Amino acid sequence: MINPDLLALLTTLKMAVLTTVILLFIGTPLAWILAKTQSRFKVIIEAIIALPLVLPPTVLGFYLLIAFSPQYLPGQIWQQVTGKQLAFSFSAIVIGSVLYSMPFVVQPLQKAFEQLGDPLLEAGAMLGAGPMDRFFHIVLPITKASYITAASLGFAHTVGEFGIILMIGGNIPGETRVLSIALFDHVEAFDYAKAHVLAISLLAGSLLLLAAIYLLNRPHKRSINKVVNK
Amino acid sequence: MNLPSLITHSSLPLCVNVQLNYEQFTLAISQKFDLQGITGVFGHSGSGKSTLLRVIAGLEKQVSGNITLNNKVLADSHTKQFIKAEQRHIGLVFQDARLFPHLTVLANLQFAVKRCQHARLELNEIIQLTELDTLLDKHVDELSGGQKQRVALARAILTEPRLLLLDEPLSALDRQAKTRLLKLMATIQTELQIPMLYVSHSLDELQQVCDKLLVLAQGEVVGYGGIHEMIHQLNYLTTTSQTEEIIHQQTSLSLPIKHLDNGYGLTVLSLNDDEEIYLPVIAKQTTAQSLRCFILARDISISLMEPIHSSIVNHLLAKITTITTQKNMALVTALCTKHGEAQEFFVNISAFSQQKLALSVGQKIYLQFKAGAVRTYLY
Repeated sequence: MINPDLLALLTTLKMAVLTTVILLFIGTPLAWILAKTQSRFKVIIEAIIALPLVLPPTVLGFYLLIAFSPQYLPGQIWQQVTGKQLAFSFSAIVIGSVLYSMPFVVQPLQKAFEQLGDPLLEAGAMLGAGPMDRFFHIVLPITKASYITAASLGFAHTVGEFGIILMIGGNIPGETRVLSIALFDHVEAFDYAKAHVLAISLLAGSLLLLAAIYLLNRPHKRSINKVVNK
Repeated sequence: MNLPSLITHSSLPLCVNVQLNYEQFTLAISQKFDLQGITGVFGHSGSGKSTLLRVIAGLEKQVSGNITLNNKVLADSHTKQFIKAEQRHIGLVFQDARLFPHLTVLANLQFAVKRCQHARLELNEIIQLTELDTLLDKHVDELSGGQKQRVALARAILTEPRLLLLDEPLSALDRQAKTRLLKLMATIQTELQIPMLYVSHSLDELQQVCDKLLVLAQGEVVGYGGIHEMIHQLNYLTTTSQTEEIIHQQTSLSLPIKHLDNGYGLTVLSLNDDEEIYLPVIAKQTTAQSLRCFILARDISISLMEPIHSSIVNHLLAKITTITTQKNMALVTALCTKHGEAQEFFVNISAFSQQKLALSVGQKIYLQFKAGAVRTYLY
């Protein structure tokens, strides 16, 4: 039988990778719209997206738990379509993570799109490039660093979440038992040795990931030389 | 070089009938163009010249009215038609070049080639024409302002546009780079025959390469016509309006070259068949048959007797047609006529001199100006 902590690691990685991919797909158009719109509703949407930054995870978890239960519409629809209960499932913790990590993906992308502005897109249009062409051949390569930042922050934040998963996922091995919850279990059982292993791995892993982001986002060598030469 | 001409018909009809309202600014233009050669668009900042280009390009969407190019509707707010910028086959060179910073020079050019459906132009020939051979592997941030604009120009041409729009492409360049790019624009025009609309706030630049000129002020058309005729009209506008005094009153000319070098370092142009105008030698060798030049009104003086005992080489007999006085200055217009041909000259003198010489309309006078007063940009 597989080591329960290793299983928790696999569940965590599966959740985090899936969440990050979903977030990049949802986050790109959302960040694009927020960067380009001048609508009055912009601030409201921005506030909603930023909410998980300040809200206790248990508050979001509590409302999601209610929404995911079979008594309420989202939970009912899910059960009718998939035949399974949504609350306390792997799907539930992925949906919860998507909402919870949303600001970490949308905000860097929105900032990058705002900084890019319209000039290069207009130049692309004048050379015959349509909207998708412009996105893949102008926007994406130029904002690559922001995409790496967004993906890494979204991933790391998802790995580290606890409260929301406990509320909507519980502690089902192989389904919703992720590393942070396994760690909590060990501490509750006074098994500090195992707790240390998990804690130090999470700490080292997060540190390495963040260091990698900062390394990748360092200004280009060529542009540094240019500044020095001036 | 043998480049295929991109335009088969002689002129490209463009009809602009648009209105655009911003908070502080309104553009209201109703003008028909027969685009051929280079058409200049002149106006002070805020006159709406760049906005006009953006409207034609399809980058301004909130426009009421209609635009047709070669009898094809580009936009019509009434029938809700709007062809997107990327489908208009119109090229635009921006003031700030707007090269893609993640690509090399060559990749910037290939970006255009890949999206061009006809691809009649050879990439290598355009690279040679725009003298980019040595810059192809460079990154955009390693280029000078002039080099950036040459890449932007080459990139725009490579889309093989039906119409090329140029939005102040020279404004950030030094004089040498300006001259080089102006020459290049003129060469591209003769080699490829792409009609161009060239926006600038510098009349000197426009005078050198444009065939026709559209003058805008406060979002409206002030005039449209042949380049020399329009520049001469602007001479009167500066005396009557109190606007910014950027326009130098001048005589704008295109004259046939008689001798490239008369042996004394002077080039001789011919005026009205047998009159001659001297200027410092323009180039050792040129294939040009005629020369575009201008003489500032303040560089010409008036003499009542023929100045034969003078070092000033140019003197012409002329008849005063108008005198406009403003403050202490007088703008005198005089006509040189010979063999049924006539050339108008504009002269600035002080009101004091005008009084002293007792000048009046219809009077015969001699215009005189040094060889160095005959100016040209391209050589």
